[in-house]
Amino acid sequence: MRSLYFAKRNLKEILRDPLSLLLGIILPVLIIFLFSALSKNAPIEIFKPVNIVPGITIFGFTFTTMFLGLLIAKDKSTSFLTRLFISPLKPKDFIVGYFIPLLPFSFIIGICCVAVGIIVGIPISFALLLTFISFIPFILFSAFTGVFLGTICNETQIMALGNIYIIAGSFLGGAWMDLNILGRNLKSITEILPFSHAIEASRNILAGRPDNIGIHLLIVSLYAIVFLFLSVYFFNRKMKSDNK
Amino acid sequence: MIETKHLTKKFGDFVAVEDVNLSIAQGELFSLLGLNGAGKTTTIKMLSCLIRPTSGDAFILRKNIITDSQYIKPKLNVSPQETAVAPNLNVQENLEMIAGIYGMSKNDIHRKVEEMVTVFNLTDVRKKKAKLLSGGMQRRLSIAMALITEPEILFLDEPTLGLDVIARRELWVIIRKLKEKTTIILTTHYLEEAEALSDRVAIIQNGVIKATGTVDELLNQTGSKTLEDAFILLNQKEIIE
Repeated sequence: MRSLYFAKRNLKEILRDPLSLLLGIILPVLIIFLFSALSKNAPIEIFKPVNIVPGITIFGFTFTTMFLGLLIAKDKSTSFLTRLFISPLKPKDFIVGYFIPLLPFSFIIGICCVAVGIIVGIPISFALLLTFISFIPFILFSAFTGVFLGTICNETQIMALGNIYIIAGSFLGGAWMDLNILGRNLKSITEILPFSHAIEASRNILAGRPDNIGIHLLIVSLYAIVFLFLSVYFFNRKMKSDNK
Repeated sequence: MIETKHLTKKFGDFVAVEDVNLSIAQGELFSLLGLNGAGKTTTIKMLSCLIRPTSGDAFILRKNIITDSQYIKPKLNVSPQETAVAPNLNVQENLEMIAGIYGMSKNDIHRKVEEMVTVFNLTDVRKKKAKLLSGGMQRRLSIAMALITEPEILFLDEPTLGLDVIARRELWVIIRKLKEKTTIILTTHYLEEAEALSDRVAIIQNGVIKATGTVDELLNQTGSKTLEDAFILLNQKEIIE
């Protein structure tokens, strides 16, 4: 219950930052509209709504990592976190309190992108619901990565790393391009990272292709679990180092 | 209420606080005075269970600050040296958040928020985001956030730092009222503030307590006319020695 009060604060901090709405919601929505318009003139497979909507939605989720990382880094740089460390909150309350707000925020991003997807031509179907569910492992991965980065980095580092992370997520995930054009070496890197797997899984579900969906989702889920442990470990370490 | 025994804190080779022995009674307002880096904030951080002492011990409400921190933490609160508020939350939301984190019921939260905005004269700005408040208002909110949990022990670390004369005097009135119910440990650079508010004062230099007592006792001890003279004398002695 204590952590929910903290989570509520964190959600408000994120939602009340105009950048969160601009980059997390408005930008992905505009990009979907843009590529949908392009797909009408240039019949490129990847620009079709069924491919671009899952890609851009995952791209939108990558921003949540930066928002959460920035929030934690800002809290660390002020006395606010000192005040909370003195309070009865335990380490798990902090992790939960930082993690929970990303769920509704990611849900809003997902809903907006899917709603725009419907506007630009994706039919309403059960597959659409399954596609939405398939976002969950990546949402969890994004949230835990945000806690991890926010714990180990300062604001400046988060800004730099966050940008690299978002660009890497979109290019190496193949959000709006065919990964085959990257060449063999770069393509093999994309297969190690979770981004392309998250995008591929949701694209396959939406298109009704059963190709490797389980494996793709398993890889993203493993990443989420690894970053859950990393965030818990490093946040605990941060609290203990402040306690020395 | 608060008792320290040979409390010491070292950061590597640097001794921040050394062999501090204090006993602070319930309802007392105790001031820690010292120059920058004297060890005031480090002492507060140890007593508020934020950092562990290197050696020695401290007891709050007869409980050990290391082994019983989960018992102690809900019963104390701190107004840190820097203003510590959530910038995008309004005044009321900041107060509700802290009260909720300390486990207060919804009814109690509502009652205490009303009380705090009244006592700290924040009624007109209760819906205003904290980041849009003036420095003085933010400081008042920060202290209100420390008080809303009804702590038995309150640490005020430089509460009037950066405030104008009027805002400082307004805070003095509030702090005097608090003395009735709460044990307060105050750190300040303003000696007239310590003189006006404190029941007892400790002067700390380079982590060591140089003198403890009421303002009158310190004046007698040093043969000074003002606390400022006594403070300078005690600090100069160390420099000369």
